[in-house]
Amino acid sequence: MPHRLEITLKPELKDAEGEAIRKKARDYFGLEIESIRTVHVLTIDADLTDTQLEAMRSRIFTNPVTQLSSLQSLPLEFDWCIWVGFRAGVRDNPGATAVEAVQDLLNITLKPGEAVYTSKRYCIRGRDLNHAAIDRIAGELLANDIIQQWRIFSAAQWDAARGIGYIIPKVMLDHTPTVTTVAIDSEATLQAISDQRNLALNPNDIPTIRNYFIDPKTRELRAAVGLGDPTDVELEYISQARSDHCNHNTFRGRFHYVDQDTGEEEVIDNLFKTCIEAPTLKLKAEKPWVISVLWDNAGVGKIDDEHYYVITGETHNSPSNMEAYGGAITGIVGVYRDPLGTGMGAKLVMGGYGYCVGPRDYDGPLQPRLHPRRLLDGVIEGVRDGGNKSGIPTTFGQILFHPDYLGKCLVFVTALGVMPARVDNAPAELKTTTAGDLVIMCGGRVGKDGIHGVTASSEVFSENTPAGHVQIGDPYTQKKMHDFILEARDQGLLQFVTDNGGGGLSSSVGESALFSNGCEVELEKVPLKYDGLDQWEIWISESQERMTVAVKPENLDRFMRLSHKHAVQSTVIGRYTDTGKLHIKYDGQTCAYVDMNLLKSGFPQWQFDAHWQSPARRALTEPVTGEPSDYNAILKQILAEPNICSKEWVVRQYDHEVQGTSVIKPLVGAERDMNSDAAVIRPILEKQNGLAFAQALLPQYSAIDAYHMTTCTIDEAVRRLIAVGAPLENIGGVDNFCWPNIQYDAVKNPDGRFKAAQLVRSCRALKTLCLDYEIPLLSGKDSMYVDGHLPGPFGETHKVSALGTLQFSTSAAIEDVDYCVSMDVKCAGDLVYVLGTTYNELGGSQYYETLGYVGLNVPEVRAGQFKILYRALSRAIQNELVASAHGIYRGGLGIHLAMVAMGGGLGVHVDLTKVPAEGTARDDTLLFSESAGRFIVTIAPQDKDVFEKLFAGLPAACVGEVIPKPQFCIDSRSGQPLVDLALEEMKAAWKAPFGDLV
Amino acid sequence: MPSQANALVLCGYGLNCDHETAYALRLAGARAARVHINALIGGQVKLDEFQILVFVGGFSWGDDHGAGVVQAVRLKTHVGEQLLAFVKRGHLIMGICNGFQTLVNLGLLPGFDGDYQDRKLALIYNDSGNFRDDWVHLKVNTASPCVFTRGLEQVEYPVRHGEGKFYADAASIERLVAGNQIALQYARADGRCADQTFPYNPNGSVKDIAGICDPTGRIFGLMPHPEAYNHWTNHPQWTRRKQQQKRQGISMTEKMTPGTRIFKNAVEFIETAM
Repeated sequence: MPHRLEITLKPELKDAEGEAIRKKARDYFGLEIESIRTVHVLTIDADLTDTQLEAMRSRIFTNPVTQLSSLQSLPLEFDWCIWVGFRAGVRDNPGATAVEAVQDLLNITLKPGEAVYTSKRYCIRGRDLNHAAIDRIAGELLANDIIQQWRIFSAAQWDAARGIGYIIPKVMLDHTPTVTTVAIDSEATLQAISDQRNLALNPNDIPTIRNYFIDPKTRELRAAVGLGDPTDVELEYISQARSDHCNHNTFRGRFHYVDQDTGEEEVIDNLFKTCIEAPTLKLKAEKPWVISVLWDNAGVGKIDDEHYYVITGETHNSPSNMEAYGGAITGIVGVYRDPLGTGMGAKLVMGGYGYCVGPRDYDGPLQPRLHPRRLLDGVIEGVRDGGNKSGIPTTFGQILFHPDYLGKCLVFVTALGVMPARVDNAPAELKTTTAGDLVIMCGGRVGKDGIHGVTASSEVFSENTPAGHVQIGDPYTQKKMHDFILEARDQGLLQFVTDNGGGGLSSSVGESALFSNGCEVELEKVPLKYDGLDQWEIWISESQERMTVAVKPENLDRFMRLSHKHAVQSTVIGRYTDTGKLHIKYDGQTCAYVDMNLLKSGFPQWQFDAHWQSPARRALTEPVTGEPSDYNAILKQILAEPNICSKEWVVRQYDHEVQGTSVIKPLVGAERDMNSDAAVIRPILEKQNGLAFAQALLPQYSAIDAYHMTTCTIDEAVRRLIAVGAPLENIGGVDNFCWPNIQYDAVKNPDGRFKAAQLVRSCRALKTLCLDYEIPLLSGKDSMYVDGHLPGPFGETHKVSALGTLQFSTSAAIEDVDYCVSMDVKCAGDLVYVLGTTYNELGGSQYYETLGYVGLNVPEVRAGQFKILYRALSRAIQNELVASAHGIYRGGLGIHLAMVAMGGGLGVHVDLTKVPAEGTARDDTLLFSESAGRFIVTIAPQDKDVFEKLFAGLPAACVGEVIPKPQFCIDSRSGQPLVDLALEEMKAAWKAPFGDLV
Repeated sequence: MPSQANALVLCGYGLNCDHETAYALRLAGARAARVHINALIGGQVKLDEFQILVFVGGFSWGDDHGAGVVQAVRLKTHVGEQLLAFVKRGHLIMGICNGFQTLVNLGLLPGFDGDYQDRKLALIYNDSGNFRDDWVHLKVNTASPCVFTRGLEQVEYPVRHGEGKFYADAASIERLVAGNQIALQYARADGRCADQTFPYNPNGSVKDIAGICDPTGRIFGLMPHPEAYNHWTNHPQWTRRKQQQKRQGISMTEKMTPGTRIFKNAVEFIETAM
């Protein structure tokens, strides 16, 4: 018989959670809640005695100072009560830790199937609230129906004796695991089965797959292990490995590119090989600091001879779009497994984020599944809990609002780790599996999580169907595993380590077995969350918080003892072989037997048509405008734009200094509230070495040309590192592409060929600029299909495709953190310099966006000239001549001068006449052009001569000085005061949009 | 020469400040060992070999049922007696953030009348309702018996927590005040108390309480993180200070940070006692 424990704060204490809900109900829906109190509910589906229940109630779950609790319903008064709990199969992290605590306190082990489930009920008072209002609060604020269920009780309906009842979200599948054989008598049959089973096999792959299985030699070998036609385990394995997510078929595709302006045609065979792999291999050969790229879970660069750093970036767009909190926490916790699974394993030292969402105040006709405001809240909180509970500082991030992300949001997550250069006296970046090594799965158990991704969402829910396709990451379980893996590494117990992400065991075991050339797996040994999973489901499940490890049999005992110490579950599930076969059994019966090299052979390349039309041909022009007369007003207006204004509320929710390594924080300046150009940490506490990290996103420029979007994004990410003191030659990059579908279809994707051409141009730009700046791509990923079909007001739907988006991350080792620089002006009397030339490049700018235009003159990166300037600035910083340095990014010179002044809490007086410029004669262009390659630098007056000598012959000019009065003064080219604003007033404008969020 | 002060820094189960806490202790001259909670419970590591025990920050057991609650239950269940013996021997215990939460849940604080087992205090959700990372000014109670804050008057450390609001009934607060057990209070830059004003008092703590000690001063718990101020570049204004000092002809030199100072006090206390 189940039991229920209810816990609530004593009435005299403020219920901060309830208060937050009350505020949101008012701000979002205009609903006035008078009071709201939260009751935490534990439903205990276990056979416990009254004494045991009382012990757990009083000794674990009730704080006598602050809480009241009862094994009956607590008698809280309300007008309405909303109960919210998880659906069956959704990861219930507090439920799992409750079980741990109860077992430990009572010295018992719960029986199989017994569990503790957590839920909440909210007791709400509000005279004017009706059922519809309460339902809205439940469905749009408290719960998401794809992972949660809720019930509403009015005061009149409430039966105090019964309370909320006993709702047990237990998975009950009542299914015997079965291997199914798939008929392949024709390609049509195989295609039909692929469609039926959501295998998503590409029609072009089907002949290759079928030919393999009908080959007489294959059939003879299969017959020897009792197999004939392919099994579902085998086809699911092939489908996973061949998916665009795992195999990057789009980037490895063949593009027929036509420039419709010139009529020139070109075939690009494999964007990945030509634009990413080739330049990176060239640069790796030239740069000894590049240690490992292009094959492992993340790239590896050198900090010094004893330590390496590891970096990679991921996206988690579709899941976050469905369930923002769950998608985002799974994303950040997931990307943290990549460095842990790189080489022999790296300790996580830093994380970053990038969110692209629809306007937070969107009130247009389209109806996304989650309103952007709610979606953003969920994403922010998911990364907060995932990062903070992992004990990894979240040091850098950005949020971008644009209506084209209403169709699907983007959630970028980036992870950096550090490893010793050598482990067990061997290079730490290398690893391999050898026949005889054991295959071990560590971490969480396996359920139906993530199987076939979002396709499962269309299934009809029953109370006991697992809603596991939307996952909730569990940073606690993973943190234990992280600590364990690193200790096992340091004891020399690992041969190989990799993470279980997309494709689950199918990918991790399949890929690690390529090294030994074979494996034999006993699927029945895989620990499950609940019975009834089919073999293929165990094999491809994406249940989180798992690593796959290869261990020598003679080390098994030590490995398992260590695993036990760390309270991590580890299970031997097979062994690596050199038979050339992936061999999977279940209870002794073979259920998969395929050649290890099957996936490498003979699959046809994807084909794309790419048609480019230049912006001018697409009839883009510069707008015809006159100069503003009120520059104070336009400056304040742009400072308050959602993409420019302060987002301190997000940064402060993220622990950005755990591990004690912080050097340049995400927020800097006299009042610790300005965005820094980049983050710097001192990853090895005993040393002075630094690790700098930044990211950039400029998708708005894709509206003109994705080529320049790409070069400007990379240039910004590079300048961000230069500004804090990282030298150009140490900079590495991570490319994360997010693009709409590029496969042309006359009806479903009529502009697919243009989107494909944008992608080709973006990749070309990536290659060109990385070679020019000598930036190796340490890691990268692509996420296609950033499209959504949104309902409109009449029930019709609209396809919304995202802008072609590249998030570019940069990292660099810094020799000595004592030389780092922040962006805020430091002392009155200091000289203000602008480095780099301002051109008439307002196309795609924030200024045009504010005025309602796109324009044509998108900024260009002049890499040859810029590099010289960047090197000069690095020298100046290394010689300690620079008091502050800041790149000029979105918004232009006017906005970023305002930032450095606000950062220092000191005024500046600048003369626009002196700003290095070409091809422009207007003050608004000078103030708001987003030309790349520029910085604002301040120096002490006594350093003027030495500083200027370093920049001799370069576009660099002293444009003014820092003044003691907190006033922002800019003189026009005709010598008149153009801007004259108190810092306080500017900062108020900059903080106004989100300043009251916490 | 390394000191004889032996410090045990707990780790495992979601704790996450163990590395930098051990580092700060070493900077202060201690020998510091990171010890998994299970190694202490399993007896592979013995508490009686140490004179300083540090409960570090993090999210033990995910903090799912109240911060530090499950950690305290597990330790009390398995090594409760050893902890009391450690206190009786006159050794030092420090709890930082999640560690402070654990100390109050163990009942090791406030330690009124030699009672080291009952829960009398609580650290509850911040008034803001959210996790917050920011640096705070702290006023040190120079009349406090606290061993760890000796010689300090005003310091700055980062806070990083969602559940740091100090709460107790009026009688307990009165006793804490009377016994000078309130060692640290949230303050403004000029040294005045924060007086409940956000963000100076980042969580709404009663009496601006940021850290307290037991009546002996040997058990100390605080929400801010001194171990995260182990290097001069940890301070949010270090680039500004560097420039201001440059103009005065002073070059920044490495010296012991106010963060490390807390640990140095502990080490010196042990060395004197030995």
